[in-house]
Amino acid sequence: MSAVIQPADEREASLAGIGVSRLRKEDARFIQGKGNYVDDIKLPGMLHMDIVRSPIAHGRIKRINKEAALAIPGVHAVLTADDLKPLKLHWMPTLAGDVAAVLADEKVHFQMQEVAIVIADDRYIAADAAEAVEVEYEELPVVIDPYDALLPDAPVLREDLAGKTSGAHGPREHHNHIFTWDAGDLAAADAAFAAAPIKVEQHMHYPRVHPCPLETCGCVASFDPIRGELTTYITSQAPHVVRTVVSMLSGVPESKVRIVSPDIGGGFGNKVGIYPGYVCAIVASIVLGRPVKWIEDRIENISSTAFARDYHMDGQLAATEDGKILGLKVNVVADHGAFDACADPTKFPAGLFHICSGSYDIAAAHCSVKGVYTNKAPGGVAYRCSFRVTEAVYLIERMVDVLAQRLNIDKAEIRRRNFIRKEQFPYTSAFGFEYDSGDYHPALEKVLDAVDYPALRAEQAARRADPNSPTLMGIGLVSFTEIVGAGPSKMCDILGVGMFDSCEIRIHPTGSAIARMGTITQGQGHQTTYAQIIATELGIPSEVIQVEEGDTSTAPYGLGTYGSRSTPVAGAAIAMAARKIHAKARKIAAHMLEVSESDLDWEVDRFKVRGDDSKFKTMADVAWQAYHQPPAGLEPGLEAVHYYDPPNFTFPFGIYLCVVDIDRATGETKIRRFYALDDCGTRINPMIIEGQIHGGLTEGFAVAMGQQMPFDAQGNLLGNTLMDYFLPTAVETPKWETDYTVTPSPHHPIGAKGVAESPHVGSIPTFNAAVVDAFAHVGVTHLDMPHTAFRVWQALKAHNLAI
Amino acid sequence: MEVKLEKQYPLAVDADRAWALLSDVKATAACMPGAQITEQLTETSYKGAVKVKVGPATAQFGGTVDVTERNEAERRVVMLGKGADKGGSSASMDLTAAIVADPANAQACILNGTAVVIVNGKFAQFGGRMMVSVSEMLLGQFVEQFQATAQALAPAGGADVPAGADATAASPAPAPAPVRELDGLSIVWGLIKGWFAQLFGRRS
Repeated sequence: MSAVIQPADEREASLAGIGVSRLRKEDARFIQGKGNYVDDIKLPGMLHMDIVRSPIAHGRIKRINKEAALAIPGVHAVLTADDLKPLKLHWMPTLAGDVAAVLADEKVHFQMQEVAIVIADDRYIAADAAEAVEVEYEELPVVIDPYDALLPDAPVLREDLAGKTSGAHGPREHHNHIFTWDAGDLAAADAAFAAAPIKVEQHMHYPRVHPCPLETCGCVASFDPIRGELTTYITSQAPHVVRTVVSMLSGVPESKVRIVSPDIGGGFGNKVGIYPGYVCAIVASIVLGRPVKWIEDRIENISSTAFARDYHMDGQLAATEDGKILGLKVNVVADHGAFDACADPTKFPAGLFHICSGSYDIAAAHCSVKGVYTNKAPGGVAYRCSFRVTEAVYLIERMVDVLAQRLNIDKAEIRRRNFIRKEQFPYTSAFGFEYDSGDYHPALEKVLDAVDYPALRAEQAARRADPNSPTLMGIGLVSFTEIVGAGPSKMCDILGVGMFDSCEIRIHPTGSAIARMGTITQGQGHQTTYAQIIATELGIPSEVIQVEEGDTSTAPYGLGTYGSRSTPVAGAAIAMAARKIHAKARKIAAHMLEVSESDLDWEVDRFKVRGDDSKFKTMADVAWQAYHQPPAGLEPGLEAVHYYDPPNFTFPFGIYLCVVDIDRATGETKIRRFYALDDCGTRINPMIIEGQIHGGLTEGFAVAMGQQMPFDAQGNLLGNTLMDYFLPTAVETPKWETDYTVTPSPHHPIGAKGVAESPHVGSIPTFNAAVVDAFAHVGVTHLDMPHTAFRVWQALKAHNLAI
Repeated sequence: MEVKLEKQYPLAVDADRAWALLSDVKATAACMPGAQITEQLTETSYKGAVKVKVGPATAQFGGTVDVTERNEAERRVVMLGKGADKGGSSASMDLTAAIVADPANAQACILNGTAVVIVNGKFAQFGGRMMVSVSEMLLGQFVEQFQATAQALAPAGGADVPAGADATAASPAPAPAPVRELDGLSIVWGLIKGWFAQLFGRRS
């Protein structure tokens, strides 16, 4: 033992554990075009599916004629709802307690709804045959506006629900009404409003947008009729949930269903749900006994798979004259489209919208959300946000600005006066959430100092004073609190399965390791960051730790990746599984070093005998011993599984500031500066966090400045191609400045909170606030998104600011 | 997507001949580029087709035309056309067209048209922003052809047509124009020309 012992800090650096900006392990294959996406999968004998879709938004199907399609050489089958009926698969349950048509059954409810499928030898024949299927419709009146949907004489959209006076979330008060969901204390809020000297209110519409991931949805279903086994490669953010649902729908035992999510090209909530295309491809494969591939095109993806938002919100604040908020009331009309297919925890039909008291200490609050059917595609998923948090943050941040303008208090100052103070954590909000940790005041001051806020306000005042200024200047400031890491299974489940997550770690005899998780990466870099957690916990270099996800036959059951839950939930499961291994390793090391466990100290990668650095066993030494000659009475091997049920959500937060210059002649808005400070607790890989924030800010920029799904009165979606739907490229994307503070979560094993969605949740109201702030001097309190040049120019015209 | 069009076109043909043509659905349809009446179903109901070609892509609309009103005294027809193509688009047009005599010139008249056009599906989604200009161009081409066809009719023949009689039988039907396809490239060119004309027209 005369060898020189490498210093602990050097050993630690070589592990590339928590806190290291380790390069992404995934990138080597992606940048070489060697990823393995669903559309890369080609199986022998594979057939291709295409979908016949409705050109109209509401109508009765009078007749479907398949003959011409079936006559095309290479066509194997054309299936309609009538063909699925004997299998009872023409309707399917949604994650929200409703049912959705797999193929339109007698009626179509939205444009581009799935009406029939065609299975053919190749994609081109399938597309030609889909055009040859003749469908005759009797058009019915279309309902696009959710307020119109609730009029007494509005057309009945869901005839299948006739006579049902209650749904999955309580009584239904109208034939197009889905649910009304309340949170908070209305009596207390009313009392606060009655006593308050200042009241403000604002109506706002958070428009319907679509996550539009680079890879569209699709699957390859392969049923082996000999073995009775069904394997499906699928673009899913939650493969284990898909397995459970597929087993329930198809009757194939769950043990014979294998769901594989290979590389996924972005999800953002769009790939949580179960779509008719998946079900049809699976049915076709079972019926034909051959693999069937279905890949959406872009128009299908934007038109028919899950959208996000579409919340019509009315907010009210009650306050003192010096701006202390006393009460909050919110009423929402939520446009859910034709079927309620939101992907929220079962108990929360409006997700976690009741985080809408934000970062502020508000004593009395109430919110009510009314879900409504319209002739639009179903969905309502979290687009890079944890279950309606984007809508909630947007609402409260807008309302605080409206109050500030009313009272003529600076928008930073009003936040200072209302923040939950550091000493109040853990803080229980009026809606009942227990915020784990936060420290908002120093974060705000850090941002204001970094951008020299007083100088910006002075510049703005000067600009406003100059009637000939070619631009308007706006400053948006947002101090958001996210809620992620769903969730404690006492509160959160999906189809009855608690929202825990899982990890299995196996240490191999030579000291390398494999870890499998119930989550699935879609660009988050799990293969990189998860290994870093294990590296720090177990002292094994992250380079020799393989991370595998997405194959339900090998990975432990988990609820998947969405709502920024991977780090808060699966990340905790990893740490806990590692700690189980660590505890066993300590026993083995004590045996090897012939001391008692209590005489051992852990240092980076080794157990050492207290007081003698030369007597130690590394984790690799212990691993070999575990397989070679474990201590008597101890099981061989070195592995562990942990299912982690989080005790609480985590509450990341941030302070964002945006400066815009609006061209008074054209309405074009230039993002001069965007400063984003995030606090996501312990930072596992700062480089990946930075990348996540850049991505989230860019998507937020897209939503605030350009994305929209406009419908005409006939229910035509007029923005379902990338010709119309705004996806920013490097050309449009502004420069981002990022910063951070660290306030660890006290209940998470490594203190991490999750980050991917914060920049989206936080940036959208920031861009919006900046544009509105540019108009604040003429009394404007709110402008609805998106802030395209045309819409901003219209606002300039309306307020006599255009030149 | 719904578009309302209200148009007045002066025609260099007398009102009687123009009305003789207008009241003949089949002959009128033939004046529309790419359109054709393929079958008469009842006295007032027809089957028709419109073919549109944009580059390599062809769309064929098949549908029906119902004449809901034919007012000889006021020289007015009201018709409802409905059609769909196989690629997922459908359209309907509620059209009121009338021939108004020009009091100053017996050899001229005015064609008044009011149409509510509703387009659904892919045409609305992709073509929506161009619909008004495309419709105006098509109508322009239609009117040109309509005038030419009407001028080719035997003069004043329409005057003898007793009210209510089948116009097709009474007036010598013009030779059916050969079915032309609606050529997308010429449409695009027309739109570009129109846009520039509008641009410079406004400035001058």
